[in-house]
Amino acid sequence: MSNVQSCYQCGKCTSICPMRRVSKTSPRSSIYNANIYGFETQDIWTCLTCGLCPQECPQQVDFLSFIREERQGKQPLAIAHLGVFTELAELSSRLNGNIAEKSGDSKIGFFPGCVDSLDLFLHDVKTNFGEITTSSVRLLDKLGMKPQVLNMKCCGHDVLWQGKKDVFNGLKEYNKKYIQESGIDTLVTSCAECYRTFSKDYDLGIKVIHTSQLWDKLGLKINQDVTYHDPCRLGRHMGEYDAPRKALTANGVTLKEMEHSKEKALCCGVSNFMNCNEQTKALRIARMNEAEATGAKTLITTCSKCLAHFNCLKNEKDAVKKYDFDVVDLSVFLARQLEAGK
Amino acid sequence: MSTEAAAGTPKSEGWEPNILAFCCNWCSYAGADLAGVSRFQYPPTVKVLRVMCSSRVEPAFILKALKDGADGVLVAGCHIGDCHYIDGNKNAEVRINNTKKALEKLGFDKRLRLEWISASEGLRFSEVIRNFTEEIKKLGQNPVKKPQINADERRLDTSDISVNMRSIANVQGSEVK
Ligand code: SF4
Ligand code: SF4
Ligand code: FES
Repeated sequence: MSNVQSCYQCGKCTSICPMRRVSKTSPRSSIYNANIYGFETQDIWTCLTCGLCPQECPQQVDFLSFIREERQGKQPLAIAHLGVFTELAELSSRLNGNIAEKSGDSKIGFFPGCVDSLDLFLHDVKTNFGEITTSSVRLLDKLGMKPQVLNMKCCGHDVLWQGKKDVFNGLKEYNKKYIQESGIDTLVTSCAECYRTFSKDYDLGIKVIHTSQLWDKLGLKINQDVTYHDPCRLGRHMGEYDAPRKALTANGVTLKEMEHSKEKALCCGVSNFMNCNEQTKALRIARMNEAEATGAKTLITTCSKCLAHFNCLKNEKDAVKKYDFDVVDLSVFLARQLEAGK
Repeated sequence: MSTEAAAGTPKSEGWEPNILAFCCNWCSYAGADLAGVSRFQYPPTVKVLRVMCSSRVEPAFILKALKDGADGVLVAGCHIGDCHYIDGNKNAEVRINNTKKALEKLGFDKRLRLEWISASEGLRFSEVIRNFTEEIKKLGQNPVKKPQINADERRLDTSDISVNMRSIANVQGSEVK
């Protein structure tokens, strides 16, 4: 249970909420309505679960757990892309799957996440998501790590935050068994959401690492200016602000921070594929404008979803505004430099 | 990964496949009509859903049908070049092929088919249905497990019904009030 009872309705959360700038969302009143009246409000669905408001709360209310509990078993207001990723996760959770398949005996396991289905269903975003996997494996190889690639089901992050805990439990049960039978002691993932989910929502008892935590040892010499966007799952949810920055600066990159960064970073607008609409698009534009203002030629991020959403805005057909910088994943950026430097 | 083999495909006696067919209004639906009026025989395994164009069929619809236990999904549209909306069926082809690739990982790709059937091809419609039914019979029943609904975790159990209503209404272009 979240400690939502200790909320004293100061409204600090609402004043910091990014959704509040563009809509009538109010975390304060969603707590009030749920607690006092037992009401359901739309606000539990418009929340991006970005994690900004719990940081400001004087009562340390665990707003994210509250939202997750409130959403359980209810019909979401909207799911982006008609819920195609949710349907796919639900379909695979209802199948048995094949655990026996293994790709090697390495103690390190690499989980690529859902990049394959992103490639298949977001083909008009014009982003090669599969490159995140190939780049990560390439860089791991450079560090002398030979992981077995885990062919698991979806980690269940999205369905969990969409209020479908039964589906999540099905996926988790399968994946836990898969990980146990693979015999790994370190799980490496290139996705911020997978990283959060395996660390906090699975009790695996093994080490979980995000790829950005490894890349500072690559020893590349890159002479470029970039800016970095903190994904909410890696940053505020997991507290990992330094590793991706170190991965850049240790390889010679000059990092130009945006106006809002680290704990204060703005959201890409579409966490867990819940909200993609006019309001969240305004948030994306705000973030892209900040990135543009740094003058850097590349915007780096460490979450495949942020990557998709920024590139979707950037590659829009009749865009009002053209952004002349690239948006790339950290591993992809480093691997491309590695190839270029050879 | 052959997921279905691992699932120990259930083949119950007297079982008939349950196929959902999305037919585009301008060609395939008329083709199905022609098959009917010309009395071409085909098995009663198929439920036809009319859509305005094959490109109206979202991957999400297909995945949802399979998740809810459909044994096969057929998407039928006009021949390339004949689409009423010029190149809707070309888009459909890209989408359906991508959906097939996604299903391949789950061993489900053979349960999805894309066919071009024109308004004059009543015979072809009946052949496609017969042929697809045979193939599904060989594959056996859809191995999805029915979800166990836990009262605490699914307070609002009617949610799925409303989604069905809404997505079907969307397909037909009307609104649920
Ligand atoms: S900031 Fe904390 S105490 Fe204040 S209204 Fe929000 S949840 Fe309640
Ligand atoms: S988690 Fe983020 S989007 Fe949700 S209410 Fe708090 S600040 Fe607003
Ligand atoms: S109208 Fe028949 S496929 Fe487009």
